[in-house]
Amino acid sequence: MRFQYGMPHYLIILSTSLPYNMVATSDKKQDKELLNQLQTILLKDDRATIERLQATIDDPVLLSEKVSPIIEDRMAFFKEQFPVEFRVTVDKLIERKLKASQAEILDVIYPVMGKMIKKYVNHQIQIVKDSIDERVKDTFSSRGLFWRLKNSIFGISASDQIIHEMRDYKIEEIYIIQRDSGLLFGSASTENTIDQDVIAGMLTAIKSFVEDAFKREREDLEMIQYGTYKILLQNFYTYYIAIAISGSMSSTEREELGNELLTFADDNLKTLPAEPDEPSFKAVSAKLKEEFIK
Amino acid sequence: MLSRKVILTGSFGVGKTSLFRRFINNTFSEKYITTIGVKVDKKVVEVRGQEVSILLWDIAGEVKQDKVPKSYFLGASAIVYVFDLTRPSTYRNISVDMDILKDILPDAIIKIVGNKADLIANESAIEKIKEELKVRVDVITSAKNGDNVEDLFLDLAGDFLE
Repeated sequence: MRFQYGMPHYLIILSTSLPYNMVATSDKKQDKELLNQLQTILLKDDRATIERLQATIDDPVLLSEKVSPIIEDRMAFFKEQFPVEFRVTVDKLIERKLKASQAEILDVIYPVMGKMIKKYVNHQIQIVKDSIDERVKDTFSSRGLFWRLKNSIFGISASDQIIHEMRDYKIEEIYIIQRDSGLLFGSASTENTIDQDVIAGMLTAIKSFVEDAFKREREDLEMIQYGTYKILLQNFYTYYIAIAISGSMSSTEREELGNELLTFADDNLKTLPAEPDEPSFKAVSAKLKEEFIK
Repeated sequence: MLSRKVILTGSFGVGKTSLFRRFINNTFSEKYITTIGVKVDKKVVEVRGQEVSILLWDIAGEVKQDKVPKSYFLGASAIVYVFDLTRPSTYRNISVDMDILKDILPDAIIKIVGNKADLIANESAIEKIKEELKVRVDVITSAKNGDNVEDLFLDLAGDFLE
């Protein structure tokens, strides 16, 4: 078979498979039929390919098999290239968003930051206080005395004294609570808080819960801390004392306060009634106010 | 003024917290939120011209009372044991629970309360439940509509004064 430029395929085939006189004499109907046959012969492969492609497109599984690797490949490429291509754009977008929402962001962050900073500063002061206390204890011999004498003569204010004065702890509330029932024997506070009976009850419940949950026999909960606020618990046989303090307190100060409480208990709480009553409540509360709430 | 600690106990979902809220705040909610640990609140009631402060401990429900931390009961003057009238599993072992409670607090007043009366169609059904039980039921309440809730605690306050 010879191929001639410009001549349609079917004519090439006609010229090879049919005698000239037959082509010339065939009517239009025959031409069309022949044309169809030719199309079938010529487009057989193309049609099969199209059918195969259609089947692939119509079947989600087959389509996924073909397309997924390409998408995955593009995704991987995108992932890899994203920081390079879009970093500047994203940076600009974030910057613009931050500038536009500055007030809102500050509103959200400020309270958290404030608390964190306050807590951190308190913690650091407490560390400083503890270390100074330790040093003062160590050098409380002749050297320590000389140092104190020198300070007083020359009027030099010692750093530890400044720090101590700077951030002293303050007793905000104090409660004498019956150990088992959580009923109040007495209380005093710097300001009017919510129902003190409920506070005493809830503290006792928390104490019972913690002591019971960890099943540590003969061990008592000694402190509850939230933020810069601490509740110290001093346990006695039939009652315990809860003191809410603000500010930072060194271990020495805590020890001193513990001693004060022991003295107070010895002087005032020996004759507590078996069940809390009004006269004893008033008497104990007045004493607490006098001794601890300045 | 006399102050007394009262414990609300019983199986879970019997309506202890609902009774607690009904008595303390006179409110009710259909929403069920399980109690974790314990919640404490106070109400002062007046009985025979005398004020009594009731410090009420609402304890997380347990199927058996020996699962409740003993320390919660210590120092309590009364126990209100609540069961659900619609759930037999909450009162089937009531006599066993009573023995446990009496062992922990021999001197405490114990009130047995059948709650959710609003869900029981008629009085005879309640009577039938009462007969089934080996122990005496003190009060039938409904925290939802408030039936007998205030009376329950007023009775207790009266008992404290005796």
